[in-house]
Amino acid sequence: MEYQIRAYVDELFQSAPHTQQAYELKVELTQNLLDKYNALLAEGRAPEEAYNQTVMSIGDVGELFQGLAGEEPPAASPMPQPAPQAQDRNSRAAVVTIAVMLYILSVVPLIGLTSLFGEYSPAPTLGVIIMFVMIACATGLLIYHHMTRPPKAPVPSTMVEDFKQWQAGKSQKKRLLRAIRSAYWPLVLAFYFLISFGTHKWYITWIIFLIAPGIDGIISAVLTLQEPNQRKGPPMP
Amino acid sequence: MSIASDMLRGHTDTIILAQLMQNDSYGYKINRAIVEKTGGQLELKEATLYTAFRRLEQVGYISSYWGDENTGARRRYYSITPLGVEQYYRLAAEWEQSMRLLQRLIRPDEG
Repeated sequence: MEYQIRAYVDELFQSAPHTQQAYELKVELTQNLLDKYNALLAEGRAPEEAYNQTVMSIGDVGELFQGLAGEEPPAASPMPQPAPQAQDRNSRAAVVTIAVMLYILSVVPLIGLTSLFGEYSPAPTLGVIIMFVMIACATGLLIYHHMTRPPKAPVPSTMVEDFKQWQAGKSQKKRLLRAIRSAYWPLVLAFYFLISFGTHKWYITWIIFLIAPGIDGIISAVLTLQEPNQRKGPPMP
Repeated sequence: MSIASDMLRGHTDTIILAQLMQNDSYGYKINRAIVEKTGGQLELKEATLYTAFRRLEQVGYISSYWGDENTGARRRYYSITPLGVEQYYRLAAEWEQSMRLLQRLIRPDEG
């Protein structure tokens, strides 16, 4: 009969949330029911009768299980997370915005200084230098933006998640590549203007744009070849 | 559960706190004490009892710990916290007040 009581409680808890609290409650309830059952036997009841009376005394467990489910959200704590994430997203958006603004505004000192002091003063050179510094800052910000992108929260539990994580590991390398890429072309452009304004040989400096894709290809080839041995399949659970 | 069970149900928390005022106890023992003190007229359902335990524990009126008996039976004991003691006196005072009022309203000649 004791076994039957345990089996009854087992069945009862099928519908309970699968949590530590529910498990502890089950242990507690089982023990108390057994106490009650044994006490009834000691009073001289027949096992059948004692069993029925014990099981009848449990009552409606719906409310009890509801309480267990209600206690779960604070344990899982999904609430505090979105706030910092949103904050993070805001600050990251600000970084990108500032970078883009710097790109756009980088030509303003050049135009302003040239029109104020004329083309044949040191002003254009100074303007180019300021422009270059601004572009460098903006590029730095963009690289920072790419490097600090938080990886998607890993939830390792299933094979699918493991695979996703493995892919995320791969894409981390890709992200580095992309970060360098995003910096590359603005730098090329800045380099082009610097050389052109410095040498005034506009008729030939455009050749930079022919050379640049080649260098780009070499850089990505080097970066990809650097870690050919690190390719592994997803971890087997 | 034959007598005025609706009215008694409203005082489950008070009844449990009153039991724990005497000493630490566990589910069956508390219910057993209730049965004995009421001459078998009142017995809490297990579900009611444990729901009350969870509720009281959540608000910090009681705390629980697992006892280690030698017999292999593992029981969860409850003990009343200082906050729970305060609450008990508050509830008991409320009860006495409403009892006096009801007495005056329902049996004015005897009050």
